[in-house]
Amino acid sequence: MTDTIERPHVIRDAKGKRPQFYDTDGLDTAMSMIMVLASEISTLRDRLDSAERAAKAQGIDLAAGIEALVLDQEALEEREARRQDFLGRLFYLARKDAQEARDAETEAGFAKVIEEIAEQ
Amino acid sequence: MLNTFQQASHKMLPTATADEAARQEFAKSLKGFVQSTLLPGLTPVYNTRVSQAFEKEHGRKPQNRRDIRNGMVKDAYFQHYAATNRIAQELLWESVNVSVDRQLPELIERARELSADTKAELRIPEGFVPPRYVTAFDIHCMPGGYCSEVAKDDVAAGALYDRGVFLYAMGYTGPDNDDMGRSVCNYLRRHMPDFKPRRILDMGCTVGHSTLPYKEYFPEAEVWGIDVGVPCVRYAHARAAGMGLEVNFAAMNAEETTFEDGYFDLVVSHILLHETSGKAMPRVFAEAHRVLAPGGMMIHADLPPFDLMDPFTQFILDNETWYNNEPFWGAMRDMDQIALAEKVGFDRAAVKFDTAPMAVMEFAAAADGYSQQAAEDVAEREFTAGEFAPGGGWEVLIARKADVAALAA
Repeated sequence: MTDTIERPHVIRDAKGKRPQFYDTDGLDTAMSMIMVLASEISTLRDRLDSAERAAKAQGIDLAAGIEALVLDQEALEEREARRQDFLGRLFYLARKDAQEARDAETEAGFAKVIEEIAEQ
Repeated sequence: MLNTFQQASHKMLPTATADEAARQEFAKSLKGFVQSTLLPGLTPVYNTRVSQAFEKEHGRKPQNRRDIRNGMVKDAYFQHYAATNRIAQELLWESVNVSVDRQLPELIERARELSADTKAELRIPEGFVPPRYVTAFDIHCMPGGYCSEVAKDDVAAGALYDRGVFLYAMGYTGPDNDDMGRSVCNYLRRHMPDFKPRRILDMGCTVGHSTLPYKEYFPEAEVWGIDVGVPCVRYAHARAAGMGLEVNFAAMNAEETTFEDGYFDLVVSHILLHETSGKAMPRVFAEAHRVLAPGGMMIHADLPPFDLMDPFTQFILDNETWYNNEPFWGAMRDMDQIALAEKVGFDRAAVKFDTAPMAVMEFAAAADGYSQQAAEDVAEREFTAGEFAPGGGWEVLIARKADVAALAA
Protein backbone atom coordinates (compact mmCIF):
# COMPACT_ATOMS: atom_id res chain seq x y z
CA MET A 1 0.00 0.00 0.00
CA THR A 2 2.61 2.54 -1.06
CA ASP A 3 0.03 4.74 -2.77
CA THR A 4 -1.91 5.61 0.39
CA ILE A 5 0.00 8.86 0.83
CA GLU A 6 -0.74 10.05 -2.72
CA ARG A 7 -4.42 9.16 -3.01
CA PRO A 8 -7.28 11.24 -1.58
CA HIS A 9 -9.04 10.27 1.64
CA VAL A 10 -12.52 10.99 2.92
CA ILE A 11 -13.22 13.32 5.86
CA ARG A 12 -13.63 11.20 9.01
CA ASP A 13 -15.26 13.51 11.56
CA ALA A 14 -18.37 15.67 11.38
CA LYS A 15 -18.09 19.43 11.90
CA GLY A 16 -20.26 20.79 14.72
CA LYS A 17 -19.83 20.77 18.53
CA ARG A 18 -20.77 17.38 19.91
CA PRO A 19 -23.36 17.50 22.73
CA GLN A 20 -22.53 15.96 26.12
CA PHE A 21 -25.30 13.65 27.26
CA TYR A 22 -24.00 12.57 30.66
CA ASP A 23 -23.16 14.76 33.63
CA THR A 24 -20.00 12.81 34.32
CA ASP A 25 -17.10 13.91 32.16
CA GLY A 26 -15.75 11.11 30.04
CA LEU A 27 -18.84 8.96 30.19
CA ASP A 28 -19.90 9.99 26.67
CA THR A 29 -16.55 8.78 25.36
CA ALA A 30 -16.75 5.58 27.37
CA MET A 31 -20.26 4.89 26.08
CA SER A 32 -19.16 5.39 22.47
CA MET A 33 -16.26 2.99 23.02
CA ILE A 34 -18.60 0.38 24.50
CA MET A 35 -20.87 0.66 21.46
CA VAL A 36 -17.94 0.29 19.06
CA LEU A 37 -16.96 -2.88 20.93
CA ALA A 38 -20.54 -4.10 20.70
CA SER A 39 -20.35 -3.46 16.95
CA GLU A 40 -17.17 -5.50 16.71
CA ILE A 41 -18.67 -8.39 18.70
CA SER A 42 -21.68 -8.36 16.41
CA THR A 43 -19.35 -8.26 13.38
CA LEU A 44 -17.35 -11.23 14.69
CA ARG A 45 -20.51 -13.21 15.35
CA ASP A 46 -21.66 -12.47 11.80
CA ARG A 47 -18.29 -13.64 10.50
CA LEU A 48 -18.49 -16.90 12.43
CA ASP A 49 -21.99 -17.40 11.04
CA SER A 50 -20.58 -16.78 7.55
CA ALA A 51 -17.81 -19.32 8.21
CA GLU A 52 -20.40 -21.93 9.18
CA ARG A 53 -22.51 -21.18 6.10
CA ALA A 54 -19.53 -21.10 3.73
CA ALA A 55 -18.29 -24.43 5.13
CA LYS A 56 -21.76 -25.91 4.81
CA ALA A 57 -21.85 -24.91 1.15
CA GLN A 58 -18.68 -27.06 0.80
CA GLY A 59 -20.34 -29.98 2.57
CA ILE A 60 -18.84 -29.41 6.02
CA ASP A 61 -21.40 -28.98 8.79
CA LEU A 62 -19.33 -26.80 11.12
CA ALA A 63 -22.34 -25.74 13.20
CA ALA A 64 -23.29 -29.32 14.02
CA GLY A 65 -19.63 -30.15 14.63
CA ILE A 66 -19.40 -27.27 17.12
CA GLU A 67 -22.48 -28.49 19.00
CA ALA A 68 -21.18 -32.08 19.09
CA LEU A 69 -17.62 -31.20 20.08
CA VAL A 70 -16.40 -32.80 23.33
CA LEU A 71 -13.58 -30.81 24.96
CA ASP A 72 -10.57 -32.81 26.14
CA GLN A 73 -8.46 -31.82 29.17
CA GLU A 74 -6.06 -29.69 27.14
CA ALA A 75 -8.92 -27.77 25.53
CA LEU A 76 -10.63 -27.26 28.89
CA GLU A 77 -7.45 -25.80 30.35
CA GLU A 78 -6.77 -23.54 27.39
CA ARG A 79 -10.26 -22.13 27.49
CA GLU A 80 -10.30 -21.53 31.21
CA ALA A 81 -6.92 -19.78 31.02
CA ARG A 82 -8.20 -17.60 28.19
CA ARG A 83 -11.36 -16.70 30.12
CA GLN A 84 -9.42 -15.80 33.27
CA ASP A 85 -6.99 -13.76 31.25
CA PHE A 86 -9.88 -11.98 29.54
CA LEU A 87 -11.60 -11.24 32.84
CA GLY A 88 -8.33 -9.91 34.20
CA ARG A 89 -8.11 -7.46 31.31
CA LEU A 90 -11.79 -6.56 31.57
CA PHE A 91 -11.35 -5.64 35.24
CA TYR A 92 -8.03 -3.87 34.82
CA LEU A 93 -9.31 -0.76 36.64
CA ALA A 94 -10.38 -2.86 39.62
CA ARG A 95 -6.93 -4.45 39.52
CA LYS A 96 -5.26 -1.05 39.59
CA ASP A 97 -7.55 0.17 42.36
CA ALA A 98 -6.82 -2.84 44.54
CA GLN A 99 -3.10 -2.60 43.85
CA GLU A 100 -3.02 1.05 44.86
CA ALA A 101 -4.91 0.22 48.03
CA ARG A 102 -2.41 -2.52 48.78
CA ASP A 103 0.50 -0.17 48.09
CA ALA A 104 -0.99 2.46 50.40
CA GLU A 105 -1.53 -0.15 53.05
CA THR A 106 2.07 -1.22 52.84
CA GLU A 107 3.40 2.33 52.99
CA ALA A 108 1.16 3.30 55.89
CA GLY A 109 1.94 0.09 57.71
CA PHE A 110 5.64 0.54 57.20
CA ALA A 111 5.55 4.12 58.53
CA LYS A 112 3.44 2.97 61.46
CA VAL A 113 5.87 0.24 62.39
CA ILE A 114 8.77 2.73 62.35
CA GLU A 115 6.78 5.09 64.57
CA GLU A 116 5.82 2.37 67.01
CA ILE A 117 9.35 1.08 67.34
CA ALA A 118 10.70 4.57 67.94
CA GLU A 119 8.28 5.04 70.82
CA GLN A 120 8.90 1.71 72.44
CA MET B 1 -41.04 -6.90 12.87
CA LEU B 2 -37.63 -8.20 11.78
CA ASN B 3 -36.14 -5.60 9.49
CA THR B 4 -34.16 -7.41 6.80
CA PHE B 5 -34.41 -4.64 4.17
CA GLN B 6 -31.42 -4.59 1.81
CA GLN B 7 -30.31 -1.78 -0.45
CA ALA B 8 -30.34 -2.53 -4.16
CA SER B 9 -26.95 -2.46 -5.80
CA HIS B 10 -26.17 -0.15 -8.69
CA LYS B 11 -23.05 0.86 -10.57
CA MET B 12 -22.05 3.76 -8.30
CA LEU B 13 -22.86 2.26 -4.92
CA PRO B 14 -19.71 1.56 -2.90
CA THR B 15 -19.31 -2.12 -2.08
CA ALA B 16 -18.53 -3.40 1.40
CA THR B 17 -16.26 -6.20 2.60
CA ALA B 18 -17.97 -8.82 4.78
CA ASP B 19 -16.85 -7.06 7.96
CA GLU B 20 -17.76 -3.59 6.67
CA ALA B 21 -21.18 -4.91 5.72
CA ALA B 22 -21.61 -6.45 9.18
CA ARG B 23 -20.70 -3.13 10.86
CA GLN B 24 -23.19 -1.33 8.64
CA GLU B 25 -25.88 -3.87 9.49
CA PHE B 26 -25.10 -3.39 13.17
CA ALA B 27 -25.51 0.39 12.86
CA LYS B 28 -28.89 -0.16 11.15
CA SER B 29 -29.92 -2.70 13.81
CA LEU B 30 -28.86 -0.37 16.62
CA LYS B 31 -30.89 2.48 15.12
CA GLY B 32 -33.86 0.17 14.80
CA PHE B 33 -33.47 -0.99 18.40
CA VAL B 34 -33.26 2.58 19.71
CA GLN B 35 -36.48 3.48 17.90
CA SER B 36 -38.47 0.32 18.55
CA THR B 37 -37.37 -0.39 22.11
CA LEU B 38 -35.74 2.62 23.82
CA LEU B 39 -37.87 5.39 22.30
CA PRO B 40 -41.28 4.19 23.58
CA GLY B 41 -39.87 4.15 27.14
CA LEU B 42 -39.48 7.93 27.07
CA THR B 43 -43.24 8.43 27.42
CA PRO B 44 -43.70 6.64 30.78
CA VAL B 45 -40.42 8.10 32.05
CA TYR B 46 -41.72 11.57 31.24
CA ASN B 47 -45.26 10.99 32.50
CA THR B 48 -44.05 9.78 35.88
CA ARG B 49 -40.79 10.85 37.44
CA VAL B 50 -39.74 13.62 35.04
CA SER B 51 -42.97 15.62 35.08
CA GLN B 52 -43.25 15.14 38.84
CA ALA B 53 -39.72 16.40 39.39
CA PHE B 54 -40.40 19.37 37.13
CA GLU B 55 -43.56 20.26 39.00
CA LYS B 56 -41.77 20.01 42.33
CA GLU B 57 -38.99 22.28 41.12
CA HIS B 58 -41.09 24.89 39.28
CA GLY B 59 -44.45 24.68 41.04
CA ARG B 60 -46.27 24.07 37.76
CA LYS B 61 -46.64 21.40 35.11
CA PRO B 62 -44.35 21.44 32.03
CA GLN B 63 -46.16 23.43 29.36
CA ASN B 64 -44.20 23.26 26.14
CA ARG B 65 -41.40 21.35 24.47
CA ARG B 66 -38.75 23.56 26.13
CA ASP B 67 -40.08 22.72 29.61
CA ILE B 68 -40.18 19.03 28.75
CA ARG B 69 -36.66 19.13 27.42
CA ASN B 70 -35.47 20.95 30.51
CA GLY B 71 -36.75 18.09 32.67
CA MET B 72 -35.80 15.19 30.43
CA VAL B 73 -32.13 16.05 29.89
CA LYS B 74 -31.48 15.40 33.59
CA ASP B 75 -32.98 11.90 33.48
CA ALA B 76 -30.65 8.92 33.12
CA TYR B 77 -33.05 7.00 30.85
CA PHE B 78 -33.25 9.92 28.46
CA GLN B 79 -29.48 10.38 28.58
CA HIS B 80 -28.96 6.75 27.54
CA TYR B 81 -31.57 7.04 24.80
CA ALA B 82 -30.15 10.27 23.37
CA ALA B 83 -26.51 9.21 23.72
CA THR B 84 -27.12 5.86 22.06
CA ASN B 85 -29.11 7.45 19.25
CA ARG B 86 -26.28 9.88 18.59
CA ILE B 87 -23.68 7.10 18.72
CA ALA B 88 -25.74 5.00 16.30
CA GLN B 89 -25.70 7.96 13.91
CA GLU B 90 -21.92 8.30 14.24
CA LEU B 91 -21.30 4.56 13.82
CA LEU B 92 -23.49 4.55 10.74
CA TRP B 93 -21.40 7.17 8.93
CA GLU B 94 -18.13 5.69 10.15
CA SER B 95 -19.09 2.22 8.93
CA VAL B 96 -19.81 3.54 5.43
CA ASN B 97 -16.98 6.05 5.33
CA VAL B 98 -14.40 3.27 5.64
CA SER B 99 -15.85 1.55 2.55
CA VAL B 100 -15.93 4.81 0.59
CA ASP B 101 -12.38 5.67 1.55
CA ARG B 102 -11.11 2.27 0.44
CA GLN B 103 -12.66 2.69 -3.01
CA LEU B 104 -12.49 6.43 -3.55
CA PRO B 105 -10.17 6.57 -6.59
CA GLU B 106 -12.20 3.86 -8.34
CA LEU B 107 -15.51 5.55 -7.49
CA ILE B 108 -14.29 8.84 -8.95
CA GLU B 109 -13.15 7.07 -12.10
CA ARG B 110 -16.42 5.15 -12.46
CA ALA B 111 -18.44 8.35 -12.09
CA ARG B 112 -16.38 9.97 -14.86
CA GLU B 113 -17.05 7.04 -17.20
CA LEU B 114 -20.77 6.80 -16.47
CA SER B 115 -21.29 10.56 -16.79
CA ALA B 116 -19.40 10.65 -20.08
CA ASP B 117 -21.72 7.96 -21.38
CA THR B 118 -25.10 9.69 -21.04
CA LYS B 119 -26.87 12.41 -23.02
CA ALA B 120 -28.23 13.93 -19.81
CA GLU B 121 -26.66 17.22 -18.81
CA LEU B 122 -24.41 17.81 -15.78
CA ARG B 123 -23.96 21.50 -14.98
CA ILE B 124 -21.39 22.55 -12.40
CA PRO B 125 -20.64 26.28 -12.60
CA GLU B 126 -17.05 27.31 -12.02
CA GLY B 127 -16.52 28.58 -8.47
CA PHE B 128 -20.00 27.60 -7.21
CA VAL B 129 -20.42 28.65 -3.56
CA PRO B 130 -22.88 26.71 -1.38
CA PRO B 131 -24.95 28.63 1.22
CA ARG B 132 -23.79 28.86 4.83
CA TYR B 133 -26.74 26.89 6.23
CA VAL B 134 -25.33 23.69 4.74
CA THR B 135 -21.68 24.35 5.46
CA ALA B 136 -21.77 25.78 9.03
CA PHE B 137 -22.22 22.27 10.51
CA ASP B 138 -22.07 18.89 8.88
CA ILE B 139 -25.82 18.28 8.71
CA HIS B 140 -27.04 15.07 10.37
CA CYS B 141 -23.42 14.47 11.43
CA MET B 142 -22.32 13.26 8.00
CA PRO B 143 -18.54 13.80 8.02
CA GLY B 144 -17.62 16.46 5.45
CA GLY B 145 -21.25 17.38 4.80
CA TYR B 146 -22.71 17.63 1.30
CA CYS B 147 -20.17 20.01 -0.16
CA SER B 148 -16.63 19.06 0.87
CA GLU B 149 -14.33 17.87 -1.88
CA VAL B 150 -11.09 16.04 -1.20
CA ALA B 151 -10.05 15.39 -4.80
CA LYS B 152 -10.71 16.54 -8.35
CA ASP B 153 -14.12 15.33 -9.56
CA ASP B 154 -14.79 14.05 -6.02
CA VAL B 155 -17.95 11.97 -5.43
CA ALA B 156 -17.23 10.81 -1.86
CA ALA B 157 -20.04 12.84 -0.27
CA GLY B 158 -22.54 11.32 -2.71
CA ALA B 159 -21.36 7.76 -2.09
CA LEU B 160 -21.41 8.28 1.68
CA TYR B 161 -24.89 9.78 1.58
CA ASP B 162 -26.33 7.11 -0.73
CA ARG B 163 -25.37 4.20 1.50
CA GLY B 164 -25.60 6.11 4.78
CA VAL B 165 -29.12 7.38 4.24
CA PHE B 166 -30.33 3.86 3.47
CA LEU B 167 -29.06 2.81 6.90
CA TYR B 168 -30.47 5.98 8.51
CA ALA B 169 -33.88 5.22 7.04
CA MET B 170 -33.33 1.52 7.92
CA GLY B 171 -34.53 0.65 4.44
CA TYR B 172 -38.00 2.12 5.00
CA THR B 173 -37.58 4.21 1.88
CA GLY B 174 -37.06 1.18 -0.33
CA PRO B 175 -34.12 -0.57 -2.01
CA ASP B 176 -33.32 2.58 -4.01
CA ASN B 177 -34.04 5.06 -1.19
CA ASP B 178 -36.72 6.59 -3.37
CA ASP B 179 -39.93 6.13 -1.40
CA MET B 180 -40.60 9.85 -1.01
CA GLY B 181 -40.39 10.60 -4.73
CA ARG B 182 -42.30 7.46 -5.54
CA SER B 183 -45.01 8.29 -3.02
CA VAL B 184 -45.50 11.78 -4.48
CA CYS B 185 -45.66 10.29 -7.99
CA ASN B 186 -48.28 7.82 -6.79
CA TYR B 187 -50.21 10.67 -5.21
CA LEU B 188 -50.20 12.64 -8.47
CA ARG B 189 -51.26 9.63 -10.46
CA ARG B 190 -54.15 8.96 -8.10
CA HIS B 191 -55.37 12.54 -7.63
CA MET B 192 -54.45 14.12 -10.98
CA PRO B 193 -54.37 11.33 -13.56
CA ASP B 194 -54.41 13.83 -16.45
CA PHE B 195 -51.44 15.84 -15.17
CA LYS B 196 -48.56 15.30 -17.61
CA PRO B 197 -45.73 17.67 -16.70
CA ARG B 198 -43.39 18.48 -19.61
CA ARG B 199 -40.59 19.65 -17.35
CA ILE B 200 -39.94 18.69 -13.73
CA LEU B 201 -37.56 20.28 -11.22
CA ASP B 202 -36.43 18.50 -8.03
CA MET B 203 -34.94 21.03 -5.62
CA GLY B 204 -32.29 19.84 -3.17
CA CYS B 205 -32.04 16.46 -4.85
CA THR B 206 -28.78 15.32 -3.16
CA VAL B 207 -27.91 12.10 -5.07
CA GLY B 208 -31.21 11.97 -6.93
CA HIS B 209 -32.93 9.28 -4.83
CA SER B 210 -36.35 10.88 -5.13
CA THR B 211 -35.65 12.50 -8.51
CA LEU B 212 -35.47 9.32 -10.56
CA PRO B 213 -39.04 8.09 -9.95
CA TYR B 214 -40.33 11.22 -11.77
CA LYS B 215 -38.46 10.14 -14.90
CA GLU B 216 -39.83 6.67 -14.46
CA TYR B 217 -43.44 7.85 -14.05
CA PHE B 218 -43.17 10.65 -16.64
CA PRO B 219 -40.66 9.24 -19.16
CA GLU B 220 -41.35 11.99 -21.73
CA ALA B 221 -40.59 14.77 -19.27
CA GLU B 222 -37.35 16.73 -19.06
CA VAL B 223 -36.27 16.14 -15.45
CA TRP B 224 -33.78 18.28 -13.52
CA GLY B 225 -32.29 17.68 -10.09
CA ILE B 226 -30.47 20.57 -8.44
CA ASP B 227 -28.44 20.70 -5.25
CA VAL B 228 -25.80 22.83 -3.55
CA GLY B 229 -23.54 19.82 -2.92
CA VAL B 230 -21.23 19.61 -5.94
CA PRO B 231 -19.91 16.08 -5.18
CA CYS B 232 -23.53 15.00 -4.64
CA VAL B 233 -24.83 16.13 -8.04
CA ARG B 234 -21.77 14.64 -9.71
CA TYR B 235 -22.58 11.32 -8.04
CA ALA B 236 -26.29 11.74 -8.82
CA HIS B 237 -25.59 12.18 -12.52
CA ALA B 238 -23.42 9.07 -12.67
CA ARG B 239 -25.85 7.07 -10.54
CA ALA B 240 -28.80 7.92 -12.81
CA ALA B 241 -26.75 7.07 -15.90
CA GLY B 242 -25.74 3.78 -14.30
CA MET B 243 -29.41 3.01 -13.68
CA GLY B 244 -30.23 3.76 -17.30
CA LEU B 245 -32.17 7.01 -16.75
CA GLU B 246 -31.51 10.30 -18.54
CA VAL B 247 -31.93 12.88 -15.83
CA ASN B 248 -30.15 16.25 -15.80
CA PHE B 249 -28.36 17.48 -12.71
CA ALA B 250 -26.90 20.83 -11.75
CA ALA B 251 -25.10 22.47 -8.86
CA MET B 252 -27.61 25.21 -8.13
CA ASN B 253 -29.20 26.91 -5.15
CA ALA B 254 -32.99 26.47 -4.96
CA GLU B 255 -33.27 30.08 -3.71
CA GLU B 256 -31.97 31.37 -7.03
CA THR B 257 -31.87 29.02 -10.01
CA THR B 258 -30.85 29.95 -13.54
CA PHE B 259 -34.01 28.59 -15.16
CA GLU B 260 -36.25 31.02 -17.02
CA ASP B 261 -39.68 32.09 -15.74
CA GLY B 262 -42.40 29.48 -16.16
CA TYR B 263 -40.03 26.74 -17.37
CA PHE B 264 -41.47 23.90 -15.25
CA ASP B 265 -44.89 22.31 -14.81
CA LEU B 266 -43.90 20.56 -11.61
CA VAL B 267 -41.48 21.68 -8.91
CA VAL B 268 -40.88 19.25 -6.05
CA SER B 269 -38.59 18.84 -3.07
CA HIS B 270 -38.08 16.02 -0.57
CA ILE B 271 -36.70 16.65 2.91
CA LEU B 272 -35.11 19.87 1.63
CA LEU B 273 -36.89 22.67 3.50
CA HIS B 274 -35.74 21.69 7.00
CA GLU B 275 -32.12 21.88 5.84
CA THR B 276 -32.42 25.48 4.64
CA SER B 277 -32.89 28.54 6.88
CA GLY B 278 -35.46 31.09 8.02
CA LYS B 279 -34.46 33.47 5.23
CA ALA B 280 -33.84 30.85 2.56
CA MET B 281 -37.11 28.92 2.88
CA PRO B 282 -39.37 31.81 1.74
CA ARG B 283 -36.96 32.42 -1.14
CA VAL B 284 -37.23 28.76 -2.18
CA PHE B 285 -41.02 29.11 -2.27
CA ALA B 286 -40.75 32.33 -4.32
CA GLU B 287 -38.32 30.70 -6.74
CA ALA B 288 -40.59 27.69 -7.18
CA HIS B 289 -43.46 30.06 -8.00
CA ARG B 290 -41.31 31.97 -10.49
CA VAL B 291 -40.10 28.94 -12.45
CA LEU B 292 -43.57 27.35 -12.53
CA ALA B 293 -45.73 27.70 -15.62
CA PRO B 294 -49.34 28.85 -15.05
CA GLY B 295 -51.32 25.92 -13.68
CA GLY B 296 -48.10 24.22 -12.50
CA MET B 297 -47.73 22.39 -9.19
CA MET B 298 -45.33 22.91 -6.29
CA ILE B 299 -45.02 19.96 -3.89
CA HIS B 300 -42.73 19.88 -0.85
CA ALA B 301 -42.49 16.62 1.07
CA ASP B 302 -40.98 17.40 4.45
CA LEU B 303 -41.65 17.45 8.17
CA PRO B 304 -45.15 18.20 9.41
CA PRO B 305 -45.51 21.51 11.30
CA PHE B 306 -45.37 21.48 15.10
CA ASP B 307 -48.87 22.91 15.47
CA LEU B 308 -50.21 19.55 14.28
CA MET B 309 -48.84 17.72 17.34
CA ASP B 310 -48.72 17.76 21.16
CA PRO B 311 -45.77 19.26 23.11
CA PHE B 312 -44.27 15.87 24.06
CA THR B 313 -44.19 14.78 20.41
CA GLN B 314 -42.67 18.15 19.51
CA PHE B 315 -39.98 17.59 22.14
CA ILE B 316 -39.14 14.13 20.79
CA LEU B 317 -38.86 15.39 17.23
CA ASP B 318 -36.88 18.46 18.23
CA ASN B 319 -34.09 16.22 19.54
CA GLU B 320 -32.82 16.14 15.96
CA THR B 321 -32.17 19.87 16.21
CA TRP B 322 -30.10 19.45 19.34
CA TYR B 323 -28.36 16.17 18.75
CA ASN B 324 -28.07 15.61 15.03
CA ASN B 325 -26.68 18.86 13.61
CA GLU B 326 -30.03 19.88 12.12
CA PRO B 327 -30.08 23.58 13.06
CA PHE B 328 -33.30 24.46 11.23
CA TRP B 329 -35.24 21.26 12.03
CA GLY B 330 -37.26 22.72 14.90
CA ALA B 331 -37.62 26.28 13.61
CA MET B 332 -38.85 25.06 10.22
CA ARG B 333 -41.72 23.27 11.89
CA ASP B 334 -42.81 26.54 13.45
CA MET B 335 -43.06 28.29 10.06
CA ASP B 336 -46.52 28.89 8.61
CA GLN B 337 -45.93 27.22 5.28
CA ILE B 338 -49.37 27.97 3.89
CA ALA B 339 -48.91 31.68 4.61
CA LEU B 340 -45.46 31.53 3.00
CA ALA B 341 -46.91 30.01 -0.16
CA GLU B 342 -49.64 32.62 -0.26
CA LYS B 343 -47.11 35.41 0.19
CA VAL B 344 -45.11 34.36 -2.89
CA GLY B 345 -48.19 34.38 -5.11
CA PHE B 346 -50.11 31.12 -4.72
CA ASP B 347 -53.87 31.48 -4.06
CA ARG B 348 -54.74 30.59 -0.48
CA ALA B 349 -57.40 28.19 -1.77
CA ALA B 350 -54.84 26.41 -3.97
CA VAL B 351 -52.50 25.51 -1.06
CA LYS B 352 -52.95 22.58 1.33
CA PHE B 353 -51.28 19.90 3.39
CA ASP B 354 -52.03 16.31 2.52
CA THR B 355 -50.64 12.83 3.10
CA ALA B 356 -48.98 10.88 0.31
CA PRO B 357 -49.21 7.20 1.37
CA MET B 358 -45.86 5.40 1.50
CA ALA B 359 -45.08 3.50 -1.67
CA VAL B 360 -43.00 0.98 0.28
CA MET B 361 -45.61 -1.74 -0.34
CA GLU B 362 -44.61 -1.69 -4.00
CA PHE B 363 -41.19 -3.05 -3.10
CA ALA B 364 -42.60 -6.07 -1.30
CA ALA B 365 -41.00 -9.26 -2.51
CA ALA B 366 -39.42 -7.45 -5.47
CA ALA B 367 -36.21 -6.59 -3.64
CA ASP B 368 -33.87 -8.38 -1.24
CA GLY B 369 -35.18 -8.47 2.30
CA TYR B 370 -38.45 -6.71 1.44
CA SER B 371 -40.94 -9.39 2.36
CA GLN B 372 -44.65 -8.70 1.94
CA GLN B 373 -45.06 -8.92 5.70
CA ALA B 374 -42.24 -6.50 6.53
CA ALA B 375 -43.40 -3.97 3.94
CA GLU B 376 -46.94 -4.12 5.32
CA ASP B 377 -45.61 -3.72 8.85
CA VAL B 378 -43.80 -0.52 7.86
CA ALA B 379 -46.76 0.97 6.03
CA GLU B 380 -49.36 0.06 8.62
CA ARG B 381 -47.47 0.09 11.89
CA GLU B 382 -48.36 1.84 15.11
CA PHE B 383 -46.02 4.75 14.91
CA THR B 384 -44.08 6.31 17.78
CA ALA B 385 -43.14 9.94 17.18
CA GLY B 386 -39.41 10.15 16.63
CA GLU B 387 -39.25 7.02 14.50
CA PHE B 388 -38.01 7.51 10.99
CA ALA B 389 -40.89 8.01 8.55
CA PRO B 390 -44.50 8.41 9.59
CA GLY B 391 -46.84 5.49 9.90
CA GLY B 392 -48.30 5.15 6.45
CA GLY B 393 -47.59 8.39 4.66
CA TRP B 394 -45.47 11.47 4.02
CA GLU B 395 -46.76 14.93 4.83
CA VAL B 396 -46.78 17.05 1.67
CA LEU B 397 -47.44 20.74 1.07
CA ILE B 398 -49.17 21.13 -2.27
CA ALA B 399 -49.72 24.41 -4.11
CA ARG B 400 -51.02 25.04 -7.58
CA LYS B 401 -50.04 28.15 -9.50
CA ALA B 402 -52.98 30.01 -10.95
CA ASP B 403 -53.61 29.45 -14.66
CA VAL B 404 -53.16 32.14 -17.28
CA ALA B 405 -56.69 33.55 -17.08
CA ALA B 406 -56.53 33.90 -13.31
CA LEU B 407 -53.06 35.45 -13.44
CA ALA B 408 -54.27 38.04 -15.96
CA ALA B 409 -57.32 38.89 -13.87
